[in-house]
Amino acid sequence: MLPDELLTDELLSSINDRLPCRVPQLQRLSALIGDDDDYSPASIVVHGLEATGKTLILKSFLESSGSSFSWVPCHECVTTRHLVERIAATVSESIGIAEGATSSARCENVSVLAVQLQQILKESQRKHFLVLDRTDRQREAPPTLLASLGRLGEMIPSLTVIFIVSVPRPRFLSSAEVPHIHFAPYNKEESIKVLSKYVRRITKIPSEGDQGEEEEEEEYTEDDAKEELYVWEKFCGTVWDSLAKGAARNIIQFREAVDKMWLQFVQPIAKGEYGTRNYSSLYLLQKDMFRRETNVIDSVIPAAAAGKMAASKNHDLPYYSKFLLCAAYLSSYNPARQDSLFFMKANDFKKKRRGGGRGRPAKNRKIHRRLLGPQAWPLERMLAIFYAILPHPITSAVDIQTQVATLTSLRLLTKASATDVLEASTKWRVNVGWDYIRGVARNVKFDIEDFIAE
Amino acid sequence: MERTSSQELQDDEFDPQEHQACYIFTPEGRNDRPSKRRRTVKSKGKQSEAEIALEFSDQCPFPVLLNGSESEETVKLRYEAYCRLWGEQEARTNAILDSFNNKTLDDVSEFVKNATAESYDGKIPTALILAGPNIASHTPLFEQLASRIRDEDRTGPVVVLTSKDATNLKSTLKKLIKDATQQDEGLDDEDDEVIVGRKGARLLNYDLQILQNWCKLHEGQKVIIAIQDTEAFDGNILSDLVSLFSAYLNRIPFVLLMGIATSVEIFHEKLPKSSIRLMQGDKFDVERAEECLAQIFNDSMVSDKSVLRFGASVCDFLLERYRDHTQSIQAFVGALRYAYMSHFYANPLSIILGFVDDLVNLKDVLTTEHVEAIRNVSSFRRFVERKLADSDIAEVSKLLEDDDHVRSVVAVSAAECRSYAIEVGQALLVLEIARSCQANQTRIPRYELYAKALSGELHGSTPIVRDLLLSMKKMNSSSLLNLLDKIAAEVQVPYLVENLLPLRESIRALVEQSEETGKTTLTSEFNVTKSTLRATAVSKRIWLGEQKSSLTKQDTEYSKLVQQVHDAAEAYFGASLKGLQELFLHELFFYDLISPHRDVFAPRSRSTVERALSHPQDYLGCDCCTTDGDDEEAGIKSTQPPASIIYQLYLESGALINIFDLWSAFYQVVGGDDGEDCDEATAQALFYRVLAEMRFLGLVKYTKKKTDHLAKLAWKGL
Repeated sequence: MLPDELLTDELLSSINDRLPCRVPQLQRLSALIGDDDDYSPASIVVHGLEATGKTLILKSFLESSGSSFSWVPCHECVTTRHLVERIAATVSESIGIAEGATSSARCENVSVLAVQLQQILKESQRKHFLVLDRTDRQREAPPTLLASLGRLGEMIPSLTVIFIVSVPRPRFLSSAEVPHIHFAPYNKEESIKVLSKYVRRITKIPSEGDQGEEEEEEEYTEDDAKEELYVWEKFCGTVWDSLAKGAARNIIQFREAVDKMWLQFVQPIAKGEYGTRNYSSLYLLQKDMFRRETNVIDSVIPAAAAGKMAASKNHDLPYYSKFLLCAAYLSSYNPARQDSLFFMKANDFKKKRRGGGRGRPAKNRKIHRRLLGPQAWPLERMLAIFYAILPHPITSAVDIQTQVATLTSLRLLTKASATDVLEASTKWRVNVGWDYIRGVARNVKFDIEDFIAE
Repeated sequence: MERTSSQELQDDEFDPQEHQACYIFTPEGRNDRPSKRRRTVKSKGKQSEAEIALEFSDQCPFPVLLNGSESEETVKLRYEAYCRLWGEQEARTNAILDSFNNKTLDDVSEFVKNATAESYDGKIPTALILAGPNIASHTPLFEQLASRIRDEDRTGPVVVLTSKDATNLKSTLKKLIKDATQQDEGLDDEDDEVIVGRKGARLLNYDLQILQNWCKLHEGQKVIIAIQDTEAFDGNILSDLVSLFSAYLNRIPFVLLMGIATSVEIFHEKLPKSSIRLMQGDKFDVERAEECLAQIFNDSMVSDKSVLRFGASVCDFLLERYRDHTQSIQAFVGALRYAYMSHFYANPLSIILGFVDDLVNLKDVLTTEHVEAIRNVSSFRRFVERKLADSDIAEVSKLLEDDDHVRSVVAVSAAECRSYAIEVGQALLVLEIARSCQANQTRIPRYELYAKALSGELHGSTPIVRDLLLSMKKMNSSSLLNLLDKIAAEVQVPYLVENLLPLRESIRALVEQSEETGKTTLTSEFNVTKSTLRATAVSKRIWLGEQKSSLTKQDTEYSKLVQQVHDAAEAYFGASLKGLQELFLHELFFYDLISPHRDVFAPRSRSTVERALSHPQDYLGCDCCTTDGDDEEAGIKSTQPPASIIYQLYLESGALINIFDLWSAFYQVVGGDDGEDCDEATAQALFYRVLAEMRFLGLVKYTKKKTDHLAKLAWKGL
């Protein structure tokens, strides 16, 4: 479908070697970008989900085809003005305009930018590509920003604007004829193919038995590499099927999961206990690894390190803060009209209700309250519950209020209405889940289960 | 009647100016202009700081006590004693606070030094600092961290961000860039180079490229961003910041320090996964606050350096408040300082504390008034009564009449008090060491036992001590020797040195003797287990006999020594752990006034307001409202202030209050039976004012739920 002469084959195959599985996209890019004599559209949209190679491929294509381009990462720009200034600076730098030509005027909005770019690009004979990377992650973008940036290419003949976005809204440039290039997510085979570009070595760990042979360094031969590639590909396939298919579909997360598990997986091979070819028995040995999900859960602290530190000291909240948290939880998850049932000191009310039983089941089956999220409550109600659940009476002092403030600044409680903190009608809400509260309640020997409405 | 008079008054005072749009207001009786505040003392600016300090030290902020008969000199002495003693105490406390986080600081600075993006898979190196829920300690901790990394390690600039700085992304970035680029020695000439972009255009002040240019000029410097209160930080801004940092990571070597007060799990829930994926690092624990409290407490109460200590009830109050409410070291230190302040401020006898090391000169300072004050101290009374009980009549009459004699007795008692405090401290230390040598004992820090020891509740037969002594008896030779070694190394108490050390030597000799026979540890005969599975009494006795006979001769010998050790320890604890009630002048050395501390640190504002509104007579003390003791249920009276009347009606009503009902009830009270006490217009004015006051107090608000109703917002007694 594409004329063959547009493909500078050599170039494409060299990129394809580095970044496989993206031939159709490369062909389209080369058709649209071409060389300086060809016509390029005013704007191009490159789209595809996270980690599908958009940025990498476009950049390497532009670099190796020798086109004149300027690259602006939009996610680094905080405001529109920031972006516009960055564009002006980058373009003038990549064109190599003499100093003083642009510095006279500040570039404050898109209209000024258009004028400046016209001036900059007036003399240049070549086509220029302005790449806006991650356009949709621009902060504080007014709705007309993208459309107006798209028009730049129409106003300046030698300019082509390339947008890189993850999911384009229909007609987000307010013009229909913009060519789109889609980067589809990698499927299993493609992912494995991409990952085979960085095979990780299996470093032999000398087993304790043969200490004597340690000196003899083994040569890294081609056979070894082949064997490693074989295990690696098999392993990648297993990880994909067991974990990544559901939890880490994009290539970066997939690679991370594979990286985390690899060393542990190939340990028997490294020790020399298993050969490289009996993969299935190795898999059976390490089967347990693929059942656990620790390697696909994101965490700041690597799972391996976290295990070591588990037995560290834990910091405790003050005694009454824990009760305050429990009271806050109860006020958030119990309906207010049942408070008298749970917290009245006189028990007869409770008994009467229990004895009577429920006359008829609720007509529409209610959703469990815990699933509905925390409800907001006024401070008075929480304090009343707090004093009701305390095992012994205390006199109210300013310390209780201080603790409410502390819990709020720890974001264990949050303010739910926009009014002032001191206003009595201000509502609050608990910000921790059931598991945390249960731990807290057990810590102060409070049976919170007895007070939770069904 | 009232009305007409007020109208007349109004007519008289009609002021034409009030109807003009604009006029100059001249308050009466103040026709001359107030003299301008000119700096009359010109020399003040030139005064050196030392002179000002001197001037300040001259004017003593303490009042003259003893009904104004205290001499100026002693007031000054009191002030000086306060400054000196608190100064010493504060220096010691600050030293403890400074050194307390050393381990965490070391770990984090090591992490920052080694952190590079490459070693963390291209993610931002992040240290999660678990700083505990005591927010007051976070600021000093981060200041310490910043100064450590910036000034000692010179790893790079440190920017500490708090949630207050972060209202939006732009201002946060501005502050970050400003703080980071201006931290080095302020080289002005390079500033322009930083801010000006590549093409000569000035960069926007929130553009991280400024920081990037700065980093180019300062090779090898890392930019450390410390986020002090991660929980309170806006989640969106934080994740925006993280993604920005990660975008610039290849040009600016960022290192993140996150202060976490709750737990790592809550931190992970706060941020989106995509932001968490950009960070990798380690977590660092800060020492628990209890440790710090124990150290400060031991220093200020138990150690022999301190002079003024807490008495039992203040100590209980403060520790309880710490445990149950604040968990804040800073609050404890504040309370300690307040105790020093109020003791020296209000107690004229506190000058004695200034002379603890110089008791000879004390006599010259104490005036007749002082001596009279000493005679009024309650412990003096007990002291005299004890003397009477001993029928030491001569001594008693001397104490009551001879001032010089009292002065010398005071000197002796002051020394006694001090040595008593030191003794108690040492005994608690011995107790702690002895308990730490036993595996099955849970650790009770000294501060828990201190108050008990002072009030005399800790003695030989309290469970803690008795258990300890019993288990001491059962120890085998190696652990007993270990315990004795530790005690000998840590404390220098003459009594223990005299009694225990010889015993230690003989036990050691005994062990050496038995080692020749191949037995390395000797067991005590008290350790023979009494519980057996044998059912009958006879077989039990036989079994026990067997056990006893299996003991060697050395064991029996050892058991005797163990008994001696036990007796010595029991005698020691019995002698040193007695209450302070018997002590003359203990009020001076043990500050035990709980109410100032309670009023200052834990005031009951809410119940005070509620009581003032519901029982105004308690505060007004007027005759009209005070009811007799019998009929407490007299309730609402028209003589009470209107606010209090409305409040009491308010308490009786439901969640929604009909205003008209409230008004008619109010008018009934205020106006008397048929409006004779107060006419309707005045009552209405009062009513409106009170309602506005109730709204200001946050007790009611207007509601849309029902017309002409107020919503009740506060309940009583919370």
